[in-house]
Amino acid sequence: MKNILTIIFRLTVACLLAGLVMGTAFVFTNKAKKHNLHVNEQKVMLSLLGYSAKNPAPASVAMHEVYRYIVSQGDVLTTGYLLPLRDGSFSFVTIDLTGAFVARYPVAISAEKAVEADERSQAIAAAIGAGKTIRYADQTIVVTDGGKRTAYLLPGRFPGFKTFISAMLALDKNCTILGLEIMENEEDPGLGGEIVQDYFKNQFKGKPLDTVKKLEVVKTPLPEEYRKALEAGKRGQMGAAEVASIEEQYKDHDIYALTGATISSRSVTSGVKGMVKKFAYRLAILDRVLAEQHIAVPF
Amino acid sequence: MATDKTNLQLVVNGILNENPIFRLVLSMCPAVGISTTVMNGFMLGIAVLFVQVCSSCTISLFKNVIHPRIRIPTYTLTIATWVTVIDMVLAAYLPEAYAKMGIFIKLIVAFAIITMRLEMFACKESVNASFWDGIGMGLGFMFGMMALGFVRELLGMGTILGYDVLGFKPLLFFVLPFAGFFCVGLMMAFFNYIEIVYKRAKRA
Repeated sequence: MKNILTIIFRLTVACLLAGLVMGTAFVFTNKAKKHNLHVNEQKVMLSLLGYSAKNPAPASVAMHEVYRYIVSQGDVLTTGYLLPLRDGSFSFVTIDLTGAFVARYPVAISAEKAVEADERSQAIAAAIGAGKTIRYADQTIVVTDGGKRTAYLLPGRFPGFKTFISAMLALDKNCTILGLEIMENEEDPGLGGEIVQDYFKNQFKGKPLDTVKKLEVVKTPLPEEYRKALEAGKRGQMGAAEVASIEEQYKDHDIYALTGATISSRSVTSGVKGMVKKFAYRLAILDRVLAEQHIAVPF
Repeated sequence: MATDKTNLQLVVNGILNENPIFRLVLSMCPAVGISTTVMNGFMLGIAVLFVQVCSSCTISLFKNVIHPRIRIPTYTLTIATWVTVIDMVLAAYLPEAYAKMGIFIKLIVAFAIITMRLEMFACKESVNASFWDGIGMGLGFMFGMMALGFVRELLGMGTILGYDVLGFKPLLFFVLPFAGFFCVGLMMAFFNYIEIVYKRAKRA
């Protein structure tokens, strides 16, 4: 009996100590980690839009974040969008499942605070009144150049081989894929981990909406010329015109699977397919509602 | 029962006599699964080296207060703590290194080699000896992984460290997980053979 008590005591102390060490490390590193993630995200967004340190985005380019929430009141589910308005204030617009406009609430929140998830949900909850619960779904970044829409950036998450893969997808205004970047993944290094390589992720580039809707994975080897074109950004052996012509040729082709990682390839393909399809569907509804209700958004 | 080996002998012991992959046959999962390229082997080797040294020193430091009945949970807890801390510190202060190594660090918690070294060595020896043993084991593991990675990358993809050396892909089969077993087996036989030849030469 005494033995059991000693064991319990020592194990508890060991756990507490380990927890203390990990907790301290978390407190000291969390801020820097979040900052790194944010910086990285910004860099990825700009690079997907074709800007870099050498070729910075002009001042006329602006990014507007639209947050989507699921609002439930009893059994009734509606989709809510937190939209920035032209005068700098925010509105929360709810749309029911058939796509019809339900209600519009002004939200008292500043642009800086809207970025913080907790403050945002509190402000929305206060705006729509009691009795409704909201759940964050996703966000979309609408990119405008001189007030005209040029692209959409979709951060997303989908299941991979072992756990979730988070990715950032850039679409142009016709929902053609501009680029895909894998933000975080835990696929097997050397096999599924290859999804971050240019020769895989660049295959999605330039695929129009209609192709993406029925995109599949094929297990035939990647043609050598296509591979060279996909990696042109890294190796630079090919002229831009040649790359464009080869990419045009494979524009409507399915995705070539990675060797030894068919499941990871399929996960990314179906994940991207799902993101684009759902986004295009929701965008059409949101645009119609915005036009009907004369909501002055800056995009 | 303190070890009578010098620090250098401990390091060499980890790399040659008790090489984790070819002699102790521990941590076969990463050896088979991840040793597809030299770079992967190197990254995982560095990660194991860090975690092994930190955990060995910690256990060696606390060896007198760890109750023998609960030593395995304590080891696991120690390894998990170090893996988490190293993961967080890298993510915060070395984001470039983390982008390459993060995925390997998270894999380490379940590695047999680290628990085994804590059980066989660190819980009996001084902190200093454990530190050098940790270095030896880490380097030995890195050496094994890189040797495997060299063979598999060369034969599977025709490249070394990502550079195209052969210009063609001899046997793609070598990159796939099951080929890892063949590679480990063949290289183990190769190292055993060298040992036999070496001993014979010594005797003669």
